[in-house]
Amino acid sequence: MNVIIHDLSTKESETLFTGLKSETKLISNNGQIKNCIGCFGCWIKTPGKCILKDNYEKMGEILSLADKVIIISRCCYGGYSPFVKNVLDRSISYLLPYFKIKQNETHHRQRYKKDLLLSVYFYGKNISKKEAEIAESLVKANSINFYVSKYNVSFLDSSEELYNIAEIQ
Amino acid sequence: MKISVINGSPKKGKSTSELMIKYISSQVGEGNDVSIYGINKGAVKYVNLKDIKNSDVLLFAFPLYVDSIPSHLLQILIELEKQKPFSKEIMVYCIINNGFFEGEQNHIAIKQMKLWCDATGLKWGQAIGVGAGEMMSFIADIPLGHGPNKNIGIAIKRLSNNLMNKKSGEDIFVSPNWPRFLWKIQASFFFWHPRARKNGLKIRHLKRKQI
Repeated sequence: MNVIIHDLSTKESETLFTGLKSETKLISNNGQIKNCIGCFGCWIKTPGKCILKDNYEKMGEILSLADKVIIISRCCYGGYSPFVKNVLDRSISYLLPYFKIKQNETHHRQRYKKDLLLSVYFYGKNISKKEAEIAESLVKANSINFYVSKYNVSFLDSSEELYNIAEIQ
Repeated sequence: MKISVINGSPKKGKSTSELMIKYISSQVGEGNDVSIYGINKGAVKYVNLKDIKNSDVLLFAFPLYVDSIPSHLLQILIELEKQKPFSKEIMVYCIINNGFFEGEQNHIAIKQMKLWCDATGLKWGQAIGVGAGEMMSFIADIPLGHGPNKNIGIAIKRLSNNLMNKKSGEDIFVSPNWPRFLWKIQASFFFWHPRARKNGLKIRHLKRKQI
């Protein structure tokens, strides 16, 4: 299963994703998402699931079913837009609270013994070289933390360029 | 000097960000006008924008979420950017803490904050990247600059001095003056496990899969 996390408007996503395969899970902004409150409930109260009830509490489980995750986000200070970042902040139940050492850094252990593939499309006018470098290092860091075996990062001048990307048609 | 502090923790109760603000406040001395804004309710309306625009210094203390700025703070930064141009030169300082041991893992969020400064027209001061953030409250009774608080004590002093003089400085990354292997074991036995038991869970439940 592919999972697409995106911040496009309803109108844009309806047009862009019309031909999607049925086994693709779309994570869209319904305007109701709550932010992570740092309670660790997804680790020590309801392990594997966020305690907030807003239809985004099952992100850990959704990622566990994914082969590939595709992120489409406006580039914001060298990172994701608030909605996309919110979804990722609410996805840490995919991992365990326990730590391990990877490349001489501490990271969380895996709850699900699997690796993911990740494609990230940042869009926006005039994304600077500096911004792109930071965004690339962010995706690299995310890939280490979420056990991504292969990732790629692309930068688009506008969301309209997404219509040319085969993997999201 | 007018100092506005944004506590970027989403927690309602005590937090490492709050503790870091307390440490800085203890160093900056009296005679300064310090306003602290909590954003755990999320909305920018809880931040006094007029107050911030008149500040000499803006200090952000927040936790690292998924390698970068947490979404609720990101939303507020976007709103603050819309307030530009700021009429006076405001210096920006940050203390970012993460749950991993290494303070260096905050480096991306620091770079993001620098980009925000560029976009907003504010002047970058300095940042501290703090590792093992959740450990900080356990050692809060140990004086800054001593024992496991040695490194954070030195960092807080340096940043506070620069903040008071509105100077820029090199970013500092700190971990507790404590063995990493011990911290890793303690995280399980003194942090995760007691909290899980308090919630009525057995330790094996922590590894539960949802599928």
